[in-house]
Amino acid sequence: MIRWDVIRGNLPLITAKVWEHLALTLVAVGVGLALSFLVVIAIRDRRRLVGPVMGVFGFVYTIPSLALLAFLVPFTRLSFLTAEIALVGYTLLILARNLLAGLDAVPSEVTEAADAMGYSRWRRLWQVELPLALPLVVAGIRIATVTTIGLVMVTALIGFGGLGQVMLRGYNFRNDTLVLVGFVLTVALAVAADLALAWLGRAVTPWSRARAGTG
Amino acid sequence: MSGAEPSSRRAATVAFDHVTKRYPGTDARNPGAVEDLSLEVPAGMICVLVGPSGCGKTTSLKMVNRLIEPTSGRILIDGADAARRDVTELRRSIGYVIQQVGLFPHQTIGENVATVPRLLGWPAARRLERSEELLGLVGLDPASYRDRYPAQLSGGERQRVGVARALAADPPLMLMDEPFGAVDPIVRERLQNEFLRLQADLAKTILFVTHDIDEAIKLGDLVAVMEVGGRLAQFGTPEEILAYPASDFVARFVGADRGLKRLALSRVASLELRPAITARPGDDAADARRRTLADPFEYLLLVDAEDRPIGWVPERSIPTSGVLDESMAASMSPLLDRRTTLKDALAMLIDAEVQAGIVVDRRGVLRGLVTAEDIVAAARREPVAPS
Repeated sequence: MIRWDVIRGNLPLITAKVWEHLALTLVAVGVGLALSFLVVIAIRDRRRLVGPVMGVFGFVYTIPSLALLAFLVPFTRLSFLTAEIALVGYTLLILARNLLAGLDAVPSEVTEAADAMGYSRWRRLWQVELPLALPLVVAGIRIATVTTIGLVMVTALIGFGGLGQVMLRGYNFRNDTLVLVGFVLTVALAVAADLALAWLGRAVTPWSRARAGTG
Repeated sequence: MSGAEPSSRRAATVAFDHVTKRYPGTDARNPGAVEDLSLEVPAGMICVLVGPSGCGKTTSLKMVNRLIEPTSGRILIDGADAARRDVTELRRSIGYVIQQVGLFPHQTIGENVATVPRLLGWPAARRLERSEELLGLVGLDPASYRDRYPAQLSGGERQRVGVARALAADPPLMLMDEPFGAVDPIVRERLQNEFLRLQADLAKTILFVTHDIDEAIKLGDLVAVMEVGGRLAQFGTPEEILAYPASDFVARFVGADRGLKRLALSRVASLELRPAITARPGDDAADARRRTLADPFEYLLLVDAEDRPIGWVPERSIPTSGVLDESMAASMSPLLDRRTTLKDALAMLIDAEVQAGIVVDRRGVLRGLVTAEDIVAAARREPVAPS
């Protein structure tokens, strides 16, 4: 079934596509996180806007990925930008919702104490609220990353797609080995990314494991 | 909390000058509002704001560090209008302790305590030194607590850390909002006593909010009783408020037992002690018996060579001849010292077998006796009227 010579012959392609896959994911989650952060900071003290904004993100999230790409191509052509607009769009709901929930979960007595100690607004956000929101933010990043790794494959249809390209090539040339390689590596990438982020999340929130008696 | 070296004894005066806070949506009762509050707290005093919920005591407190801005009026700290100062700089110069403590869960205890020094840009070495000094001051061993997280501490320990954090930059003024309200009664009592001992060294100016009149009387040099609507019902020393409530509201709020509460404010030192009939083991029994019979009180107090009490010998058990020995002492009364409050003394006497408390000095040497009648008589005496 698996033809090792095919894998060996396509090794440069496979390696390049793994990197492309990672790059597309990283840019999508990174840009999505930055956008979500700006949006959440803008709306968190204007609670009336929370519903409509999350509604828009939710709507984007429901659009089928193929349809979204087809819709974007006339405007931004078969470009990296088109791929990323779609990928970023799907991360916004998860990232923004978790970031907002994380900030909302900061106990009011903690923010009050921070104000009373003389934290400025921004310093409070960076040094008190965001660190405490981290567990939920990291949970959001994990979901968004795994989702994006899956969605990247679809962008193969406009000439990107990372490992999606490998699979597509496998279909076109009736080469089961390439299809399988694309599939297995994508799953492996998703699992590895999820585990790495879970580990990172624990590493940056040492306090969340501290409980009475364990000190 | 008393062993470590004290911080400086810097203290500020605080004055509320016709301070009013109104909230929109004028509910007639307007909970949390404050109406034309004027009062002055001299430097180094504990002023307790006390009243039922919704009386505006917390609002008043939060207007001092501008977590809430007054609608009108001024708050003067050392004579300077708080509203004209930079708000973060103002807050860094005022200690703040709340019931829920509000420690930062993601920071270690050491980092929590050093919060204001960090905001003020102190170098790391000085911050570390200061946070260790303060942990020691509030009775927590720095070596074992410094690197823990708040989640690993008990409620009482967290509250101590909260106090240490508030003291970190040695503020001349502290605001405390029901700081001991969330811990159990035994821990609360201990924290209150430690707090008073600490304050004896630090002599900060402290504004303290509570709804508990007993806590107000125990801790306050001055007590401001507030009523719903945010009006100041009475401002004075605990003695004045208990002896001369300014209105029916204050009288009801301090409670029908305010005579008893006054007992908590006086100490055994204020009483004239009764002499005791005493004898030592080895003394002539017949002589001791004669002296005891001549006294209306039916007990002989056996004391050792240094006049330290051993126990009571009832009149009927004193032999008619021979000498006294220690085994004749049948019972013992609670030992009081000059600092015991009359309330505690009375409570101990009610439970005692022999109705006289034995007052001893610091070395345990007998000074005299106190009876329940003496205490009740002292409570009846009219205190000096406020001027």
